Amino acid sequence: MTLAAAKDKDQDQATPAGSSRPNTVRPRTYGLADRPTLAISLAALAVLLVVWELVTRFGLVQSLFLPTPGEVWTQFVAVSTDGYAGATLSEHIGASLLRIFTAAVIASSTAIPIGLAMGLNRWAKGLADPIIEFYWPLPPLAYLPLMIIWLGIGESSKITLLTLAMFAPICLSAQAGVRGLPVERINAALSLGGTRWQVLRTVILPGALPEILTGVRIAIGVGWSTLVAAELIAATRGIGFMIMSAAQFLATDVVFVGIGVIAVFAFTFSLGLQLLERWLVPWKGPQ
Amino acid sequence: MLQVRQASVFFEQGGGRIVQALKRVSLDLPTGGIVMALGASGCGKSTLLNAIAGFLPLSEGVILLDGMPVERPGADRGVVFQKDALLPWRSAADNVALGLEYAGMPRRERRERAEALLRLVHLEGFADARPNELSGGMRQRVGLARALATDPKVLLMDEPFGALDSQTREHMQDLLVEVWAKTAKQVFFITHSIEEALMLGTTILVMLPRPGRIVAHWELDFVQRIAAGEKAEAVRREKRFGALHDEIRTLIHAGEQVGSVQ
Ligand SMILES: Nc1ncnc2c1ncn2[C@@H]1O[C@H](COP(=O)(O)OP(=O)(O)O)[C@@H](O)[C@H]1O
Ligand SMILES: [Mg+2]
Repeated sequence: MTLAAAKDKDQDQATPAGSSRPNTVRPRTYGLADRPTLAISLAALAVLLVVWELVTRFGLVQSLFLPTPGEVWTQFVAVSTDGYAGATLSEHIGASLLRIFTAAVIASSTAIPIGLAMGLNRWAKGLADPIIEFYWPLPPLAYLPLMIIWLGIGESSKITLLTLAMFAPICLSAQAGVRGLPVERINAALSLGGTRWQVLRTVILPGALPEILTGVRIAIGVGWSTLVAAELIAATRGIGFMIMSAAQFLATDVVFVGIGVIAVFAFTFSLGLQLLERWLVPWKGPQ
Repeated sequence: MLQVRQASVFFEQGGGRIVQALKRVSLDLPTGGIVMALGASGCGKSTLLNAIAGFLPLSEGVILLDGMPVERPGADRGVVFQKDALLPWRSAADNVALGLEYAGMPRRERRERAEALLRLVHLEGFADARPNELSGGMRQRVGLARALATDPKVLLMDEPFGALDSQTREHMQDLLVEVWAKTAKQVFFITHSIEEALMLGTTILVMLPRPGRIVAHWELDFVQRIAAGEKAEAVRREKRFGALHDEIRTLIHAGEQVGSVQ
């Protein structure tokens, strides 16, 4: 190393941080490594809106197939105030939210204990596995007719359909959460005198919680996508019902309003659950 | 007093191969003693500790604690793991208090006792820190405090300082001696550092692999003298210390040679 280079190095170290911001670097990694993506997403959305506007404004696609953003907005205001197909927009939304919410509560309160039991107990796993593995891959639309025959066309068949669709992801994730626990933690708890129940409550359940919350997030997503199917069953309210009725009259703009509403709510739910996760499991994630 | 009598453990490994991890091992853990187990990796040290902890049943033989057979894990045998097994969602104090919580101690009392234990391991001021905010050495100290919280008769430590840098390791060794001098426990401590075994043990066991067995043991007084105030450096420079170090190393090395020929 020359004298000049050595001097340079000394000067570098003497430079106070912040006088001019140094060029910071990150290690090369695969994947995202939690770099922000929000700006990219917003830009992509903006581009999509502009393309939509241009395509419709210059008449490249007939308004019957693709209404302009302006038309959809006007229709949104109209449906909000005057309603569509016998109910206002907020009544449709309320009916759908109630179904999703009820199904989510029933599915979580059954799937979490069953999933935990399946991760811990040979009998629970042996008994429940074939049932879940059998029905889980079936499309909800395939067993929808059975629901109607067994439970009628009221709320119970819709909520059962949604519950069944939401059950499997939560149950499987609770199971995976238990399997992923380090055995040392369980052993440590047992050698501190914990009973099986105490260990379950203080070590296993909190340890499996991150996986369970991921399962709930997936389940809510599955719930929204099953909702339209559920509301095909002679519903008189609901976002799915509204979309189906609008489709019958080729009211494309109302269909778009419905899709937009579902997208906004699904996004909000997912965001809410991510916040809940950050609050409940703050020890997880970047250290 | 914890007694291991004629303990044998067989494992079935992939392809139906049977491995004998322990062959008729007998040992006593005297109260107020630190028994150090030394040996090459794979010689059955962890197997022995896990059996004493109750994590692993024996194929043959029996383990007695004050005359009663040991069958499952329990609060009378505290364990410090090599990799810390702390609960990441609990603060240091709440981790230390876990065993007290299981025993039904009221919250306030628990907290006081946890803070006293954290003082004992020189972690005052870190009661509310989460494990991921602590260094490796600090986490091991929380693990030690947690194992001490339920006042177990036996303290089991499986290479607890193995993952620490040498300076932190020496601090932890001093700390263990300090804690040991204050609390009369039966300590069973696994290490693969001969030096650590000599510095900390009142007894040293040497184990050899295939099948895992105890082949030699020594009674020592280095740790008692260090606890009584003698300089660790001076003890380490003693002739007997160096001679034992060489003897043990030769023994372990020779055992490995024989093992690899078989
Ligand atoms: N769960 C297990 N299944 C099969 N073999 C095992 C198991 N645990 C340990 N062994 C075998 O038993 C022997 C002793 O292992 P261990 O007690 O972990 O050794 P040490 O702690 O001295 O390194 C090794 O040969 C290891 O492969
Ligand atoms: Mg080991």
